Amino acid sequence: MTPGRHTEGPTNETIFLIDDDLSVREGLAALIESINLPVRSFGSAADFLTTQPVEAGGCIVLDVNMPGMNGLDLQREMNAAGIPLPVIFLTGHGDIPMTVQALKAGAAHFLTKPVRVDELLTAIRQALEMDRKARSERAEMRKLRERLDSLAPRERQVMHLVTSGRLNKQIAHELGISERTVKLYRGQVMRKMGSDSLADLVQQAQKLGPLY
Amino acid sequence: MKDEQLRQTGIGAVGDVPWGTHFFLFHETMEDLIDANIPYFQAGLETQELCMWVIADPLTEEEVRYSLKHSIPGFEDHFERRNIDIVRGREWYMTGDDLDLEKVTRGWKQNTDRALNSGYAGFRLSADTAWLDKRRDWKAFCEYEKEVNDSIVDAPMLALCTYPLPGSAAAEILDVARTHQFAIARRNKGWEVVETSQLKQAKAEILRLNNNLERRVIERTSQLTAANEELRRQMAERRRAEEALLTAQAELAHVTRVTAMGELAASIVHEVTQPLTGIVSNGNACLHWLANVPPNVEKARGAVERIIRDTNRASEVIHDIRTLVKKTPPHQEEVDLNDLIYRTLTLANGEMTPEQVELQTDLAADLPSVLGDRVQLQQVLLNLIMNAIEAMRTISGRRLLTIQSAMRDPKSVTVSVHDSGEGIDPQNADHLFDAFFTTKSQGMGMGLSICRTIISAHGGHLSNVANASTGATFEFTLPAHVVKSDNVDIATA
Repeated sequence: MTPGRHTEGPTNETIFLIDDDLSVREGLAALIESINLPVRSFGSAADFLTTQPVEAGGCIVLDVNMPGMNGLDLQREMNAAGIPLPVIFLTGHGDIPMTVQALKAGAAHFLTKPVRVDELLTAIRQALEMDRKARSERAEMRKLRERLDSLAPRERQVMHLVTSGRLNKQIAHELGISERTVKLYRGQVMRKMGSDSLADLVQQAQKLGPLY
Repeated sequence: MKDEQLRQTGIGAVGDVPWGTHFFLFHETMEDLIDANIPYFQAGLETQELCMWVIADPLTEEEVRYSLKHSIPGFEDHFERRNIDIVRGREWYMTGDDLDLEKVTRGWKQNTDRALNSGYAGFRLSADTAWLDKRRDWKAFCEYEKEVNDSIVDAPMLALCTYPLPGSAAAEILDVARTHQFAIARRNKGWEVVETSQLKQAKAEILRLNNNLERRVIERTSQLTAANEELRRQMAERRRAEEALLTAQAELAHVTRVTAMGELAASIVHEVTQPLTGIVSNGNACLHWLANVPPNVEKARGAVERIIRDTNRASEVIHDIRTLVKKTPPHQEEVDLNDLIYRTLTLANGEMTPEQVELQTDLAADLPSVLGDRVQLQQVLLNLIMNAIEAMRTISGRRLLTIQSAMRDPKSVTVSVHDSGEGIDPQNADHLFDAFFTTKSQGMGMGLSICRTIISAHGGHLSNVANASTGATFEFTLPAHVVKSDNVDIATA
C-alpha cells in the first residue's frame, strides 16, 4: 500500500480514501491530488480507524464492498465514535436497499463505479463545503457552550427567563430578588455571552437548545 | 522307396496309379488277358520299367511273344535286353510239385532290386493264376496275396494279378477281391474298374470326410468372416460413439462454462470495473498535471504507468473470460496450476467479498506443471471454488475458503478446495458426482459430474475427500508433467 499523499493545506482539510483495490485506490488518490487537495488513502476500514480522525476536517471516499469491515460497517462505527466527516460511498454494483441504508445513516453521496470523474470531484467539493459549514457550526456551538458554562447559576436562571420572554419585573418576582438586581444579572449575561441585543441572545439560546 | 510320380497302367479305365498298386482282373478268354496285358506292358516298357509277365496254360510263351511283338514297337529289342521277362507260372510259383511262395516273394524282391540297381524306374509285373491247384493251395495263396497287398504299398512295384473267371466260385472271387486294392473287369467290350467294398468304403469315407471338412472349412471361414466383419463394424461404431461422446462432453463442458460465466457476470463486471476506475482516474489526474504551469511531468508519468498496469489487469480478466466462453477444441499444453488458481480466484473475487469470505491459500513452491487443457482445468477450479462459496452462504460463523496445492508423491500434483460450510449430507455423498444431481435450487447438477469427467480425461481423479461439520473438501490429483532436466520450467505464480 502506498502511503497517503498527505499535503497539509491551509484549510487543514484531508480527503480520506478507503478502498481495498489497489488500482482504484491509487487512481482516485492521484486524481484528488492532481486538483491540489490533500488525500490520505487506506486499504481497509480498520487501517483508517487507527488514525483517530475525530478532529480532522475534510471528507471520506469509501468503497462499500471490502473484505473484513465493509463500508456500511465503517459508517456505523464512525457514527458511534462521533466522527463527523461526510462520507461519499463508492460501489461496484449498488443495489437500492444498500443505497437507502447508507443515505439514512448520513451518506453525503452514493456513486457507482466506474465513477465519472467530474461527478466525484463535484461530490468531494460539496462534501468539503458541507464539512466546512458543519465545522464552523460546531465551532460556534463550542464557543456558545463555553460562554454558557462561564455563567453563574443565577445568571443562567436569568438568561433562561429573559430568553423565554419574561419582563424584568416578572423575573424579580419569580426569583424573589429586586428588579434592580435582575438588571445587574442581565447585564452580566449579555456581556459574558457576547450579545449586543436581546434578539441576539434569544438566537443564541435557540442554538443551544435543550442543552441548557 | 516310393516314387511320387504316377505310373501309366496303359489300361484306359484304370489310368495312372502310384507305385505300390496291387490290382487284379478276371478274364473269360485268352483274348481278354492279352488285350489287357499288351497296353499294360507297352506303358511299362516305354517308361523304362523292368517288366515280367508270369503266364499260365493255355497261353504259351510263343503266343505271348508273338502278340507283344506285333503290338509293341521295338519289342524284340526290349526282350533281347531283358527289359521284359516272360516266365511260366508253374515254374515261378512252384518248386517241384509244391507251391513255394517264399521263393516267389524273394523273386519279386530280387527283381525290384535289380530294377533299381540297373537304372529302371521300377518293376512291373502281371501274373496269371490259372495253374493254381485251388483245392490244395487256395488258402495259402490268399494269405500270400494279402501279404503282397500289404507290403507292396512301400515298393516301386506294380502288380496285376489275373484270374480265370470260368470255374471261380463266388467265395474265391470274394477272397480275391479282399486281397487286392481294386479289380478291373470286362464290360461292354471295355475295361471297367470295380472297386472293392473296402476301398469303396474308404474312398467314400475320405470323400465324405473331405466334403465334410471342406463344408466345415467353408462354414467356419464364412462364420469367421462374418464375425470379423461384425467386429470391424462394432469397432467403427465404438470409435464413432467415443468421438461423439467426446464431442458431447466438450459441448456440455462449454455450456456449463458459459452458464457459470453467467452466474459470475456481476463479479466479472466488478473485476473489469475496478481497473477501469483506476484508468479513468489516472487519465484525468495526468491531464491535470500536464495542465500545470510548468507541467508536473514526473507525476504525469506515474499516472500513465498506472494506466498501463491497470489496462493490462483488465485485459487479463477479459482474456480469461473470453477463453472460458469461447468454444475451442480441447488441446494439451503445460499448465501451471498455481497460476491457474490465482487467475481463477481473480474471477471469483467478486463473489467472495460481498459474502465476507476469507481466503487462505497454501500453494506449494516449485509445483511441477501438468499437461492438459487450461480452459477445462480452470473450469474445474472455478466450479469447486464457486461451490465452496455457495456452501458457506447460509452459515453465520467464519467463512473460510482454503485452497492448497501440493505434491504428495513425485508423480502427481494435488489441489484441494476446502470450505467452512456445513459439509455434505452423508445421504448425498454418494451422488455428488452423478449427472443432474444437485442440492441447489438453481443448479443444473452438471458441475461436479463434468469436473470429474474432465479430471478423468486428464488421467487424474476428483473426489470429495473429507466431509465434516466444519465443511467439505474436494480434491483432485493430476499426473505431474515430467520435463527434461535441461529444460525445467519453474512455476511462476
